[in-house]
Amino acid sequence: MFTTSAMSAVSASSPLGLLASVLPVPTAGLLAATGAGKLFGRRLRARAARTALPRLTGGNQRATLVLRVTGGAELLLAVALLAAPGRVLPGVGTALLGLGFLVYLGLARRVAPESSCGCTANDTAPITWHSFARAAAVVLGGAAAVAGGRPWWEAAGQDPVPAAAVAVAWAALLAHLSAGPGPGWRIPLRRLRLRLFGNPLGGREQPVPVAASVELLERSLAWETAAPLIRSGLVEHWDEDGWRILHYSGARHDRACACDRRVSVLFAMDAEAHLDHTLGQVIRVSVVDEETGEVLTPEAVPEPRRRLPLAG
Amino acid sequence: MACSTNALWAGETTWFCCGAAWGPCGSAGGGACGNCRSSAYHGAWPNASQACWDITRPDLCGEGGIARRGCGSVMNVRHQCSGATVCISIADCGPRTKSFCGEALCCGGTCRTNRVLDLTPAAFSAIGSLSSGMLPVVITE
Amino acid sequence: MSGTADAGKQPGHSSRFGRRGFLTSAAVGGATIVGASALGALDADAAFAAPSRSLDPAVTQTTFVEGRIGAIRGSMLHVAGSLGETHRIQVTNATSLWKVRTTTLDAVEVGDGLYARGVEMPDGSIAADAVWVNIVNLYTTIQGIQKDRLHLAHHNRELVAHTVPETAASYAGSALTPDLSRLRIGQPAQVLGAWRPADDSIDVVRVTVGH
Repeated sequence: MFTTSAMSAVSASSPLGLLASVLPVPTAGLLAATGAGKLFGRRLRARAARTALPRLTGGNQRATLVLRVTGGAELLLAVALLAAPGRVLPGVGTALLGLGFLVYLGLARRVAPESSCGCTANDTAPITWHSFARAAAVVLGGAAAVAGGRPWWEAAGQDPVPAAAVAVAWAALLAHLSAGPGPGWRIPLRRLRLRLFGNPLGGREQPVPVAASVELLERSLAWETAAPLIRSGLVEHWDEDGWRILHYSGARHDRACACDRRVSVLFAMDAEAHLDHTLGQVIRVSVVDEETGEVLTPEAVPEPRRRLPLAG
Repeated sequence: MACSTNALWAGETTWFCCGAAWGPCGSAGGGACGNCRSSAYHGAWPNASQACWDITRPDLCGEGGIARRGCGSVMNVRHQCSGATVCISIADCGPRTKSFCGEALCCGGTCRTNRVLDLTPAAFSAIGSLSSGMLPVVITE
Repeated sequence: MSGTADAGKQPGHSSRFGRRGFLTSAAVGGATIVGASALGALDADAAFAAPSRSLDPAVTQTTFVEGRIGAIRGSMLHVAGSLGETHRIQVTNATSLWKVRTTTLDAVEVGDGLYARGVEMPDGSIAADAVWVNIVNLYTTIQGIQKDRLHLAHHNRELVAHTVPETAASYAGSALTPDLSRLRIGQPAQVLGAWRPADDSIDVVRVTVGH
C-alpha cells in the first residue's frame, strides 16, 4: 500500500498541509454519521422509496440494498480515514465515493427531480445544490487525505488552535450542507429557547372558538337531521344570552310550486359547549322560509333516519 | 368502473390540494399518480403502492388491513353524519395516517378512527365544508 | 351580542340586528334535538348498512370552481382557474363566505385564491352556495414557535404561519381549544388556514397534532 509520505505534494507545516491533515477528520465524522444512518437506520425501505434509487436500480428492494452497502462503505472509509491517515487508499476511496455521489445526484435529478437525496439518515427534501456541494466536499476531504502529510493527531498536537478552527469550520459547513435548505441547525436552538423560556403561545384565554361549536354541531343528531336541507357553509354566527346561533342557508322542495324554496337553517346551542364539554348536547334547529319569513319547523325538518328524542 | 356499495373501509378523511394551484398548494404537483387535480373528484389512498404504504403506515395505527388500491381506483365516499356521498378516483398517496393515530370522529352513535383518506377540495366540498377540515366517512367500491 | 358582521348583505345596521333578533328567537324556539351522538360507540360494520344516496360517479348536483380572483364587479367574482379556464361566481346573501373566519364580500380581494361550490346558472355563471377564500389545509412539521407565529416545514420549504384570534388547536383528537401551549417543535401538524398572497405566509385557523 502506498503511503502519503512518498506522494505528499504539500509541506506539512504550510496552511495547505494543515488543511490536508485536518479535513479528513470532519469528513470521516460525516461519513460515519450518514453511513450508520443507512446501515442501522429504521424504515430504510421507506427512505429508499423516496429516493431515485428504485428507478435507477429497478426496484425498492435493490435500492434498499444499495443504501445499506453504501452505508457500510461509508463507515469503513470513516474508520480508515481516522485510523490510517498516512495511507492513500482511504483518501482515494473517499474521493471516489464523493464522485459516485455526484454522478448519482446528477442522474437522480434527471430521472426523478422530486425524489429525495437519500444521503442522510432522515432526509425527505428533494435534491438541491446543498446535496451536490456536500458530495463535492466529500471529494475534497478524500483529496486532502491523499495529499496530507502529518497524521491529524500530530497536527492537532503541534498546531492545536488552527487545527481545531479548521476542523470546526469544516464540520459546520458539512452540517449546514447536510441540513439542506430548511432551518436545519436553527431547530435545536429554537427547542432550547422554548425549554428555557417556556412556550410563548401559552396563556391565550379565549371563549370557546366558533370552530369548536361547529365541530360539535357537525357530529350531532341535529346536524344529521337538518343536513339534507343545508347547501352553504356557515353564513354567519352570533352569541346571545348564552346561546350561540349558527346560521346556514339551504333549500327546501316545495310541492305546491314544484320548485326549491330558499330557507335559513338555524341552530342554537350553548355557547360554552364543545366536544369535550357537551353540556347535554342540546341543540335547537329551526328552518325559516327566506321569502315569507315563515318559521317552517318542524314540518321542514326531514324525518330522521333513526328515532330521535324531539322536544320543544 | 363505477362506484358501488361493497364495503371497503371506514375512517376519517381530510382534504389536500394537488395539481396546478395557487398559494402553498402550488408546490404540490400532480401527486403520486401524476394526474391529481384539486378541481377534480380525486382522492389519496394510504395503500396506493408499497412505496406509498411505507410513507403513510396506517398499520402503526391498527389499520393494517387497508387494501391496495392503485391509481385510478374508484371509491364511493359517504359522510357518516349527513349521508352525503361523492364518487372519487384515486390519484395520489395519502394521508399520513401514522402521524395522527387514535383520533376519533363520532356521530350517529358510531365513531370513526384514524385518517384513511384524503380528498381534493372538489370532492371534500361535495360532502362537507372545507373549513371543517375533517369528516368521518364510510368508503365503498 | 357578538359575531360576524353581515353588513354587505343586509340593507342596514339596524335591520341586520332586527333580522338577527328575529332569527335568534326562531332558532331558540326551534325543535330541540338531544343526543350524545358525539360520544357514540365504535362500530365497524353498522354504517355500511345505513342507507345511501346516489352512487352515480359522474353526477353531482353542484359545480366546483377553483382559481384566483381577477376582478370583483358588484357581487360577481371573476375567477381565473389554475388550468386556464375562467369562471363567473355570483355571491348572493345565501352564500357562505370564508376567509380566515365567516365573513362578507368586503373582505375578499383581487388576487385571492378560492374554492367555490354552487349551481350553474343558464347564463354560465355559478350561483355560489359556499366560497372558501385562500383556504389551505397542509400537512406540515412544526419547526418553530413564537409569540405570534409558527414556523412550519411544508413540502421542504419553510412557511410562516401567523396566529390569529380564531386560532385553535386539537391535540390527539380532543376538542378544538384556543390553548396552543401544548404544540411542540418537531410535531407533524395538519394546519388549516388562509394563505396571504401578499407575503406568501398563512393565517392559522386550526392546528391538529397527534400524540
